Amino acid sequence: MGTEKILELKNITKLYPGVRALDNVSLDIYKGEIHAIMGENGAGKSTLIKIIGGAVQPSEGKITVNGKSFSSFTSSVASENGIGVIYQEFNLVPSLSVAENVCLGNKLGHKVKKDKKQMKAVTDNVLKNLGLTIDAGIMVSKLSTGQQQMVEIAKQMVKSVKILILDEPTASLSLAETRNLLDMVRQLRDKGVTILYISHRLDEVFEIADRVSVFRDGKYIETREMKETTRKDLIRLMVGREIGDEYPKRTTKPGEEVVLEVKALSGQGDKNITFSLHKGEILGVAGLVGAGRTEMAKMLYGYLQKEAGEIWIHGRQCQISSPQKAISMGIGLIPEDRKREGVFIDYPIDWNIPIMSVRKMSKGLFPDKKKMQKLVNAYIDKLAIATPSPKQVVRNLSGGNQQKVVLAKTLAAEADILIMDEPTRGIDVGTKQEIYRLMNELVAQGKSIIMISSEMEEVMGVSDRILIFYEGEIMGVVDRDHFDQNLIMARASGIKEEL
Amino acid sequence: MRKISLGDFLKEYMAWVILFVVLALFSFTPNFLSLTNFINMLNQNAYVIIASLGVAFLMMAGEIDLSVGYMMSLCSIMSGILIVQKGVPVFPAILIVLVLGICLSVLNNFLSTILKLGRFMTTVATMSMYQGASYVISKSVSIKGFPDSFKAIGQMYVGMVPLPVIIMLVLLIICSILMGKTYFGQYVYALGGNADAARLAGIHVNAMRYIISALAGFLIALSSIMLTARIGSAHATTGPGTEFTAITGILLGGISIRGGEGKMSSVFAGVMITSILTNGMQLAGLDTYYQFIAKGAIMLLAIGIDVYNLNSRTRVKKAGEKNA
Repeated sequence: MGTEKILELKNITKLYPGVRALDNVSLDIYKGEIHAIMGENGAGKSTLIKIIGGAVQPSEGKITVNGKSFSSFTSSVASENGIGVIYQEFNLVPSLSVAENVCLGNKLGHKVKKDKKQMKAVTDNVLKNLGLTIDAGIMVSKLSTGQQQMVEIAKQMVKSVKILILDEPTASLSLAETRNLLDMVRQLRDKGVTILYISHRLDEVFEIADRVSVFRDGKYIETREMKETTRKDLIRLMVGREIGDEYPKRTTKPGEEVVLEVKALSGQGDKNITFSLHKGEILGVAGLVGAGRTEMAKMLYGYLQKEAGEIWIHGRQCQISSPQKAISMGIGLIPEDRKREGVFIDYPIDWNIPIMSVRKMSKGLFPDKKKMQKLVNAYIDKLAIATPSPKQVVRNLSGGNQQKVVLAKTLAAEADILIMDEPTRGIDVGTKQEIYRLMNELVAQGKSIIMISSEMEEVMGVSDRILIFYEGEIMGVVDRDHFDQNLIMARASGIKEEL
Repeated sequence: MRKISLGDFLKEYMAWVILFVVLALFSFTPNFLSLTNFINMLNQNAYVIIASLGVAFLMMAGEIDLSVGYMMSLCSIMSGILIVQKGVPVFPAILIVLVLGICLSVLNNFLSTILKLGRFMTTVATMSMYQGASYVISKSVSIKGFPDSFKAIGQMYVGMVPLPVIIMLVLLIICSILMGKTYFGQYVYALGGNADAARLAGIHVNAMRYIISALAGFLIALSSIMLTARIGSAHATTGPGTEFTAITGILLGGISIRGGEGKMSSVFAGVMITSILTNGMQLAGLDTYYQFIAKGAIMLLAIGIDVYNLNSRTRVKKAGEKNA
């Protein structure tokens, strides 16, 4: 990696009605580097890559590629100059083959009479260069998310892209797929491709990036050499203030009392799940996406039906046949898919928070308005939900605040066993910390938490014990004293042997 | 205290605004603005509004029912057979017919639940079944000769106000309170807003759907009884078409096809708009068949407004995400 500039942004500003999405941003990208772009939600990362990809025109400023500057930088200018963007949502046609997708938008794919042989040859060649073993003839819909991501990359490579922009490429990938992707990104760099890597996963960025630029509130903050940066530095730059430990220390220890005991639970692809949860404990559940963790959570909550097994709560066996039953037993679920399952997104905060407890607060059919208002205000205060008014519609809140509304609604139903499924997914670093702190407070009050998370750092940072899932079974249980990233990763990938 | 922009105001009270515009337009017709004409219009539409309240419960919960018209037809025939042909006293006969209405509506819900099919398709099928049953049972003959005690339900006046108008207003108030002030109403909106989230929030979604269906069936049967009593005879053609006016009126009232929003009071305004327009077309001497075309156009307009509202909301959302 030299210091030859391949891409220069000068004083870029982008205005949306009422929002300054980018504010006077200047940034240099060196040829052949992996340059990470980091920032919290709303920092302007997405706008930045849209401008570089030509999808959006800046309100002010100049873009220079390879020393040439352009008066209007459109997407066709961008691609003529070797810039390729892979957005978070894939642009693949599921019903076409890999070869057809790879050649789509390319001269080969445009011909009326498609030359299938040539398309396949070109695709095979690209796939081989990338070291992939995907069959060019297979339909894209039959591929895993990780493989589809690879097809996206192949699609860019056919156009001999010089600058590749990846927007949160690992957001929906499993651990193994993430490893593959990171390897491939490194390979591409070694072949001379410049990579702009947008992510908010710290470990990934530390692993592959050469330099990192941090954005905050639409402003460029700083660019650093990765080697000279620590996690703490980076978080401080993103959040804009000193935030102390990433995972706040807990002052209480889990008690002896067992609040939940699961015996040989099976169903929905899960087999023979047995574990216990103690009072005041945070039990982490690690594993790959699709390992059966969410299914376990939903069976405990009565949303999905189990086939066999027993659930004991406070020493008594319970039949949990529906969410109502679970709630009455004091179980609360923070679902994985916040927007679809957690909140009623088009209704106000003060409608959402009491929805699970409104019946208890009613005389006959009529809710006690004062009591409800008190409850809502108490939770907005307690969880520090940032909103101009309790009447605010949840859709207009940030992801973190939406999650707090879900939490408030569940806590208001007096849950003392909380199952949190990916509680911090898509939430910025600052709010994440607030959620961790809140979890600490809850267990200090004697509540117990099961936290499912695909982020290794988080699971290890927060939990007292970790259950490791692999294909519907528990592959291991580790105590805090024996937490070891390699061990957990190995178990989650199905490796039983001692390391 | 709460700031309301003009746009919000229009969205919330759109049906009322349109109603007043329509009233203003027709005020040039002679005799239109008289009290008697108003009471008349309310009287003629009382039964439609009552049926619409039932359908509105369904639509707010994200459901629909297209078989309403032939449910009314069956209920009408049943009251004729019980009261005129079998000589059952009026009061128990009415109770039986109300139970029949509840059963038919609950059957629709049962079928769509076990078939895991949307209520749209299910009720297209049951509509045809109810229609057939109605003609078979009545042998396509009109049943006449209801006693005065029955006809009174549709024809009696209290002072200068017809009884149907009073019943309609009372039900309108009850339904408004039910939706606006009780947790039951909140649950209905929850179902319409997001049924998955409602189930995860511990709301008994299936039971709620049965309760809402029963409520709708009750109101639809009552509507049929009032219509039968007003015209004094029962026939298989008594009722069909009501579903069309009801759904148009409900959509104009700002209740979305996707469920989860709207107010009962706007249902009243929405139905009145359609009926005044129909009334106006009749006064203008427009041929019945042209009226069908016009009614279809009004419904399309109502759907258009609904879809526009939904889209503008997601547009706002997308613009918001752009900045993320």
